[in-house]
Amino acid sequence: MTNCAKGVEELNIDLPWDLSAIPEYFFFFKDAALLTLQITTLGIIVGLGIGLMVAFAKISHHKIFNIPASAYIFLIRGTPLLLQLWIIYYGLTAIVTIPRFPSAVMALGIHNGAYIAEIFRGAIQSIDRGQMEAAQSIGMTYPKAMRRIILPQAFKRAVPPLGNQFIIALKDSSLASTIAVHELLLKGRQLGSSLFMYMEMLIIVGLWYLIMTTVLTYGVSVIEKRLQVSDYRSEH
Amino acid sequence: MITIQGLNKWFGDLHVLKGIDLNVKEREVVVIIGASGSGKSTLLRCINFLERAQQGNVFIEGTKIEPRTKVINQLRQEVGMVFQHFNLFPHMTVLQNVLEGPTQVKNISRGEAAKLGAELLKKVGLEDKADSYPAMLSGGQKQRVAIARALAMQPKVMLFDEPTSALDPELVGEVVGVMEELAKEGMTMIVVTHEMWFAREAADRVIYMDEGVIIEEGSPEKIFSNPENERTQQFLSQIL
Ligand SMILES: Nc1ncnc2c1ncn2[C@@H]1O[C@H](COP(=O)(O)OP(=O)(O)OP(=O)(O)O)[C@@H](O)[C@H]1O
Ligand SMILES: [Mg+2]
Repeated sequence: MTNCAKGVEELNIDLPWDLSAIPEYFFFFKDAALLTLQITTLGIIVGLGIGLMVAFAKISHHKIFNIPASAYIFLIRGTPLLLQLWIIYYGLTAIVTIPRFPSAVMALGIHNGAYIAEIFRGAIQSIDRGQMEAAQSIGMTYPKAMRRIILPQAFKRAVPPLGNQFIIALKDSSLASTIAVHELLLKGRQLGSSLFMYMEMLIIVGLWYLIMTTVLTYGVSVIEKRLQVSDYRSEH
Repeated sequence: MITIQGLNKWFGDLHVLKGIDLNVKEREVVVIIGASGSGKSTLLRCINFLERAQQGNVFIEGTKIEPRTKVINQLRQEVGMVFQHFNLFPHMTVLQNVLEGPTQVKNISRGEAAKLGAELLKKVGLEDKADSYPAMLSGGQKQRVAIARALAMQPKVMLFDEPTSALDPELVGEVVGVMEELAKEGMTMIVVTHEMWFAREAADRVIYMDEGVIIEEGSPEKIFSNPENERTQQFLSQIL
């Protein structure tokens, strides 16, 4: 313990950075963190909506649905999010000017929509065929069987990969800094340059992301456990 | 009760059902036997349109079933099906499984549902498992829940596709017991099974299928002790 403390002290002397700035400036980033959280949350909500629709379109046997869905997934997954963001914010200006914040939300939503669609599709298709057949054998219509029997099971299977995707989305929201949305990363860069303390401010940014991803991971694991009630065998 | 006429089913180039004709009377129990791949499951699945036959017709109480969604959904309410692998809804309790059809398809009232649920679980001997999830049940219990779920729609006919072949031997009895009870009560049943004692006890008629054709049919006594067809004899000598 004392050894360790000494080690840090010694290290402190050698470091070219002033680590005491980290606690000092930590809460300067509160608003920026809130903005990061907002972009991410709204982006995820948009992404979930798009993802669910695209998943169904892709599963559909009708070409008018599944071809556009496949094209969308192909385009979005095959190009960088940064490009998509710039196309929305800069590229579309000839037609329509979308302000920074909604541009960031749209880009994140559209981007995640493609990944979430694949997560949902995989989860739906992983449900045993016998489930749909059993539901239909008691006279359920296809949509009702989907809603009551398939989707609840599929959602459960989708939770872990969705949690993963949300964490990626949270980190990807940092790309909004490139169109001057004052989220965490941009705040860190600006404060870093004005205080001549890049490293210290970037460490703060990193800490904020870590806190948020940790909370998110924990939240997902709690939801996962809650959903597992029906999976456990009774003790006796 | 059920009449099947000239049923032909292909999977791609594979001709699986080759002109099946079958007539099942009310209260009759028909057992279908035959080698693996002979088309027994496909025949059952064509009756409730889980598979679509390319040719032929199915009549329920004299009414020809038109392959339209609405007609088919109605038909399925009248034809219960029990699957080899149970196919219980894992996210629902036993009681919810049983009542899913009546409440979601037939829209019966809560009071009626409670009564029906209790009645059916008693019938299959699982009153104490109402609030358990399928994952907590043994195979035999699962299959009994599946039977209760099918019965909950108050079907006119029950189809069983090898209901005991996924079970440990010691659990077969409890499921066959429930089926025998049903047969005694006068349920019309078409059962694909290799449980010969069920066929002997409960069947009015045994049908032997081979390569998509009904080769021979008759009373259990006749088929088991005195089969005419050579292939039936061979098949029976393998399984008895
Ligand atoms: N969905 C399908 N697609 C293609 N071929 C199929 C399909 N379902 C069944 N078959 C084929 O049709 C034939 C009849 O299958 P079916 O399941 O009806 O036989 P079965 O008599 O029930 O056999 P088992 O005793 O093994 O259950 C088999 O050759 C099978 O491989
Ligand atoms: Mg079969």
